[in-house]
This record gives sequence, C-alpha cells and structure tokens, in this order.
Amino acid sequence: MNNTETKKKKEEKNKKRVAGWQIALVGAFLFYMLIPIISTYVFSVATRWDRTILPEGYTFEFYGKATESSYFGITLRNSLILSLTTVLASLIIIVPTVYWVQIRLQRAKPLLEVLMILPFGIPTVVLALALVRIYTVPPFARSPFLLIGAVVVYSMPFMYRPVSNALQAIDSHTLTEAGQSLGANIFRILIEVIIPNIFPGLLSGSLLVFATVFAEFTLTSLIVGARFKTFPLLLVEYTRINGNVAAAFSVISFTIAWIVSMLILWVGTRSKSASTETIQAR
Amino acid sequence: MPNRKHKSDSVSDWAGFIPFLLFCLTFEIIPILFLARGSFLQKGTGQFTLLNYVNLQHPLYIRSFINSIKLSGMTALVGVILGTLIGYAIYRWPSERMREFLITLSDVTTNFAGAPLAFAFVVILGLNGVITQFLAQYLNYELYPDFSIYSFSGLILAYVYFQLPLMVLLILPAFAGIKKEWQESAQSLAANDFQFWWHIGIPVLVPSLIAGFTLLFANAFGAYATAYTLVQAKLSLVTLQIGYMIAGEVRADQGIGMAMAVVSLIIMGLSIGAYQIAASRARRWSKR
Repeated sequence: MNNTETKKKKEEKNKKRVAGWQIALVGAFLFYMLIPIISTYVFSVATRWDRTILPEGYTFEFYGKATESSYFGITLRNSLILSLTTVLASLIIIVPTVYWVQIRLQRAKPLLEVLMILPFGIPTVVLALALVRIYTVPPFARSPFLLIGAVVVYSMPFMYRPVSNALQAIDSHTLTEAGQSLGANIFRILIEVIIPNIFPGLLSGSLLVFATVFAEFTLTSLIVGARFKTFPLLLVEYTRINGNVAAAFSVISFTIAWIVSMLILWVGTRSKSASTETIQAR
Repeated sequence: MPNRKHKSDSVSDWAGFIPFLLFCLTFEIIPILFLARGSFLQKGTGQFTLLNYVNLQHPLYIRSFINSIKLSGMTALVGVILGTLIGYAIYRWPSERMREFLITLSDVTTNFAGAPLAFAFVVILGLNGVITQFLAQYLNYELYPDFSIYSFSGLILAYVYFQLPLMVLLILPAFAGIKKEWQESAQSLAANDFQFWWHIGIPVLVPSLIAGFTLLFANAFGAYATAYTLVQAKLSLVTLQIGYMIAGEVRADQGIGMAMAVVSLIIMGLSIGAYQIAASRARRWSKR
C-alpha cells in the first residue's frame, strides 16, 4: 500500500515536469497568436514606429481622432443595432423551433440539424450574391432588412448549438407535461418554464451571435455597403486612409471581442466551455 | 413516448416547424436555388445553356480557382500539422490553468479573422512593420521585396493565424480519446513510443485529422474579409471575384459570377460533407 502510494507520487512528480519540446511549441504558438495583437495595441498609442524597434513616443491622439470622426458614432450605433436585432431575431426564430422539435417533432431533428449546418457550406459571398440577385424590388433590395435575414442565417449555427445542448440537459418533456397538467398552454410553458431553465444556453448563444455579427464585414459591405455603414466597414476604410487610426479601430474591435469571449466563458459555467460550443457548432 | 400519432396530430406537429422552414427558404434555400438556376440560363433569351460554365475557362477565373484551392489547401495542411503538434503539447501540459488559458486563447483568436487581423499583420509585417524593421536592423535581413504581406505568401501567414487555433480546438478531444490504458497495455507488451503511435495513436487520430483538414479547407476557401483587406486586386481569389461582381466593380457577365458561385458551392459542399463523415467517425473514439 505504502509502496504503491510513493510510486504514484513519483509518477505525478514526473508528470508535472514540462518537456522542452512542449515549451518550444507552446512558446512559438503564443508568439504567433499574441505578437500581432500586442503590436496593434502598441501601434495605436505610438507617435512614430517605423524607424525604431520600440516606438519613439506614446500618445492617445489617434483615439481622439478615431472617436472624433463623424462616422465613428454612426457606425458604432449601426453595428450595435445590427448585432442586437440579429440576436433578437435569432432567438425568436430558433428557440421555439428547437423546443418544438424536442417535445413534439423528434422526426424533424435530422432535418433541423442539416438546416443548421447548411450555412457553413455556403461562402458568405455566395449568400450575398444569391440574396442580391433574387430580391431586386425596393424596399427589400439591398436593404438593412435583407442584411438582417442574411446575418441571421449566417450566425444560426452559433445560436443553435448552445440552445440545443441546454434543452437536452433539462427534462423538457416532464416540465412540459407538468405545465400542461396545470392548464398552461405551450407558449406560456416556453416563456415561464423552459426559457428560465435554459437561460445560460440562450445567453452564451446570444453572445456568440453578437460577437460574430459585430465583426461581420462581407455580408454588410456586399448587401448594403455605404448605405448602412458598420464599424468593420469603417475600419477597412481607414486601413487605406490612416494606419494609426485604423490601429485604434482594430484595438477597439479586438477589445470588444475579448470582452464578449470572457463573458461567454463566464456564462458557460463549469459544465461546458465556449470552445466546445464553437467546435460543436460546426 | 406514448404513441399518439393520429394524422391530425402529425399535421399540427409539423405546423410548429413551418415558420423556421419558411425563414430558411426565404433567406437561404430559394435564393441559392434561384442562383443555381440562373447559372444555366442564357442572358436575354432565358434559354438553357452551359455557356457560363464554358466561359469559366478564362485564364482569370481558372487562376482564381487555382489560387483559392492552393491557399486553402496549404493553410489547411500547415494548420493540421502544426495544430496537432501544438494541441498535443497543450494536452500534455501539466498545469490545468495553463491548459485552460491556451484553450481560451485559441477560442478567441480563431474568431479574429477579418479586417482587424489583416491590419494587425500589416502592423508587424508591412513595409515598415515591427518585425520587418527588426529583421532589417538586427539581422540585416531585408524581408521585402521577396516577401510581401499584400501577396500570396502574406495571405498564408494571415490565414494560418485563424486556422491554427481552430485545429487545436478540434484535435484536443481526439487526444483525450486515446486512453491511458492503451498506452499502458502497449508498454506492458514492450512496445516503444514509436510503435504505439504508429500502430494505435495515429490510426485513432486519422478521422480527426481528416475532419480537421476538410473543415480548415472550407474555412479558408469561403474567407473574404482578410483577403479583401490585404491583397485586393493584386491577387485573384474566387471569393474576391464574386465580391467584385456583386459590387459592380467589374463589368463582367453576371452569368459567370453565378457559375463561379455554383462551383464554389460544390467545392464547399464536398469538404463540409467529408468533414461531417470524418467528424462522426472521430466522435466514436472521443465519446468513450
């Protein structure tokens, strides 16, 4: 007994050591992943950084210039409108459907899964081309309304997986039957019983969709373009006008992505990490 | 479930699915089918034709497909190889905190594709980029003009940035599927590390590697924003060409744009289909 215990401890001690090849690989990985981002953060506060290894000085003037731009407020507002509307539309379209399939229409589950995976097989430019070609009549042609439809389709897998996982984790049949025996209709059960029970799933799906849509460039620029300019469009524009201001915009965009990712992680609680959600969504 | 399947029941059951189906039809399925149909129609007369596909043989479009396939294939291959090695290093890392940090980092960075990422690469590897400067001043090595972030080689670096962490996230569950008991039994049968990996480890990983390659390939093939920000007209890619046609920046025949879209849908469909098959094979191991 004692002997095996010491052996175990020895093994554990061995395991605790990090091998040289691991340090090399993980170090290179960290370098590759972090240097572009850190450099952009530094570049956005550097006065001049094209002749020396370290910046010649530091300043916040580019953030001033970035926020002074008349488009800054408008594009930020448009991006927020687009992301929040998409989250809302996505919740309204997906949550009741997934719930319904779970309790009443298990037969449709394979069809649902296929429909949810489909957007991954369609390049965003192709979706944009298809929508622009078929909806040519105003007020729908190249409208923000069409854009919202497109981004809901594009971000659907990110909402579906967390919602579906959360629904499977609770006993929705028993909850529904209990609600029905108390005389509640299916809508009331969904809103008052099911949704509170799957709330973490809804929240993490919503955050994923929010982050995806907030950074969306392709569909926005090709479907509506300048008529509904969002933050990523402004950023791309500035990469050609002023590099320092573009860096400030990139930093804002990275920071939002980090914050949302941390929130997803925090919401994802102990059971399911955001990364498994991202992978399973594909 | 009690069997309560009357016909009326079944109809009302499906009714609950209709709104979602209508949404998908409106914003996805019908537009795509309409697009596919349009690619077979003659401009003006509306008669059936294969001309749009024949016209794809123009050197510009052939080059676009070759560039896109090369870029996707190369970054997927680099992503799979490096991602698997890095994934294994992370998997064997003793501290759980560090493992969690690296997984979170992968999770965040794989979604960093697009304009901000493209610009970050200009900051470090542009003509006056940080690393470009460092190499010139300390190692006396001029990166330009042999390399350019605005070219094919630059795109590879930028694409690998989002491919690598995606592969790490994909491969980690596969490593968890290689059970310690197998390694122990192999050891007790006097197999060395090489024999274990050659006969057991790698065969178990193969479905995950194929799944990784196909998903990464599709991920790169469909990408647009990164390439749009970096190379623009300097390099032709399928997604860029389709984008120009929508924006009306080139006076090309719309029929060719639709034919291009259909061919890229087929390429994407094949890789996503292969991914689904490989991923379900891979799950057989990691589930246990």
